[in-house]
Amino acid sequence: MKSKCIIVLLAFQFPLFSLFAQTETDYVISFHPEYNHSPFRLLDTFYKIKSGDSIRIETFRFYISGIEFLLNNKTVWKETESFHLIDAANENSLKLVFHIPSLISYDQVKFNLGIDSLTNVSGAMGGDLDPTRGMYWTWQNGYINLKLEGNCNLCKTRNNEFQFHLGGYQFPLSAIQIISLPAHQGNNMVVNIALDKLLEDWDFTYNNHIMSPSKEAVVFSKKAADAFSVPEK
Amino acid sequence: MKRTSLIIFILITSLSAFTTIEERIFNVPPGWPKPKYDFTKNPLMPGKIALGRALFYDPILSRDSTISCNSCHSQFTAFAHVDHTLSHGIKNIIGTRNAPALMNLAWQPLFMWDGAINHLDMQPLAPISNHDEMNSSIDSVVIKLQRSKIYTSLFYNAYGGHIVTGENTLKAISQFMLTLVSDQSRYDSMIRKQVIFTSQENNGYQLFKQNCAACHTEPLFTNFKFENNGLTIDTTLNDSGRIKITNNENDLLKFKVPTLRNIEFSYPYMHDGRFKRLTDVLNHYTDGIEHNETLSNELQKPIVLSSNEKVDLVAFLLTLTDRNYFFDSRYSYPKEVFFKNQ
Repeated sequence: MKSKCIIVLLAFQFPLFSLFAQTETDYVISFHPEYNHSPFRLLDTFYKIKSGDSIRIETFRFYISGIEFLLNNKTVWKETESFHLIDAANENSLKLVFHIPSLISYDQVKFNLGIDSLTNVSGAMGGDLDPTRGMYWTWQNGYINLKLEGNCNLCKTRNNEFQFHLGGYQFPLSAIQIISLPAHQGNNMVVNIALDKLLEDWDFTYNNHIMSPSKEAVVFSKKAADAFSVPEK
Repeated sequence: MKRTSLIIFILITSLSAFTTIEERIFNVPPGWPKPKYDFTKNPLMPGKIALGRALFYDPILSRDSTISCNSCHSQFTAFAHVDHTLSHGIKNIIGTRNAPALMNLAWQPLFMWDGAINHLDMQPLAPISNHDEMNSSIDSVVIKLQRSKIYTSLFYNAYGGHIVTGENTLKAISQFMLTLVSDQSRYDSMIRKQVIFTSQENNGYQLFKQNCAACHTEPLFTNFKFENNGLTIDTTLNDSGRIKITNNENDLLKFKVPTLRNIEFSYPYMHDGRFKRLTDVLNHYTDGIEHNETLSNELQKPIVLSSNEKVDLVAFLLTLTDRNYFFDSRYSYPKEVFFKNQ
């Protein structure tokens, strides 16, 4: 009788085991910053904007957070502790590897451009969120979601510099953006970031510094989110 | 029967083993609200508190290693900056506000006179980075700490390894600041029925409850809100207060309601240190209120106090002094860390 019970119990546990033992597969998202369909380079390249003037970019860094895989608008997998600092100056940071269950089906990948409000008020964090990473405001708390710095001859500033530090987590000046992109079943996805879309018609004469939560920061963040796309196959 | 009592005994002893160190280090005084700080994200540990205490007293946080937190927050004045209307930082540069006293920070939701800082962990970043204060940055502080022998061992004791990161540094400073609890004043003894107020103190207490307690709410003596308390704007500073943070015009000239605990020693008063004496403060509330659009609702009706009543009120305010806090060796300069061989 006893041995029967054990067999029955084991039989019940077997499918549970196999469920937990579900295999995982690597899925790579690569970010490709570009300008007019060519790979974008920091520092040594000047890019034309619509007015005929040129710009040079020194810093381009941003946070990606809350990555989810969806099927028919329903979440099928979500990364925990999902915060990634992407830095155009650091090749390795442009590739994110996720260990997703191999059996899931998905048709969409969703993530935030920036850091959510709860994380913004939760104190000191480590890893990519460590304040030593230079993406945190010290005089008024909050993460900088996106940092874009460079020079443009239209900026009547010291060394013709422009500095866009986009952040702000409180209503109505919340700058975080949700980006949803179509995803094909497979093991990788390329995300283009068309910096020309973001910068070519920007009015550098009047808007060359965004350093705090503001309407301009929200507008610029929306434009930045629109620059993310998946190349058509 | 014996077996049951044995089981109960084992249960009780194993449960008591789950009492965290933090609960033993940090006690919420009876009758006080639940702290705002989430201790589960940074449980108090003796090694981390010791590290935070060393960092609090160490000028290594400033660019030229001349200014520490303690430079503007001295224990003998409840961690306020005595004698200076506006606090000064590196190279004697004068800032724009008076450094507030530090105590009972675990209960405080927002920091700075304008609430610019949303979490205790992040508070040190502001003075570390401010050009007029320490004029450094958390990344250069971390590099300096990584090179320091003293901090190699302090970080090891705190985090079990040589892990000097921005997060660990800030959380350790929080640990020390969280231990700064002032709850041993004469007022506290009166509440705990250990002493009885004199009739003058008692009269002052009643006047306090009628005129001041709406904003300076017991037991922490602040409602943690931001209010315009009718100060005439100082045109040498033109400090507009909380509006700079919220961009909301209703916040014009609003500043954090400070605690009144240890008020006897935390002079000068107000965000710009304009009043040197408590009687100056009381005279402001009775005769100096400037009426403008954002003036606190609590000050719309004039506060009327006779000179005798003001004396009684001051007598009550003096009962908020906690002398143990000024001399508590757990909060003092850690000479055993910096002068090991002496």
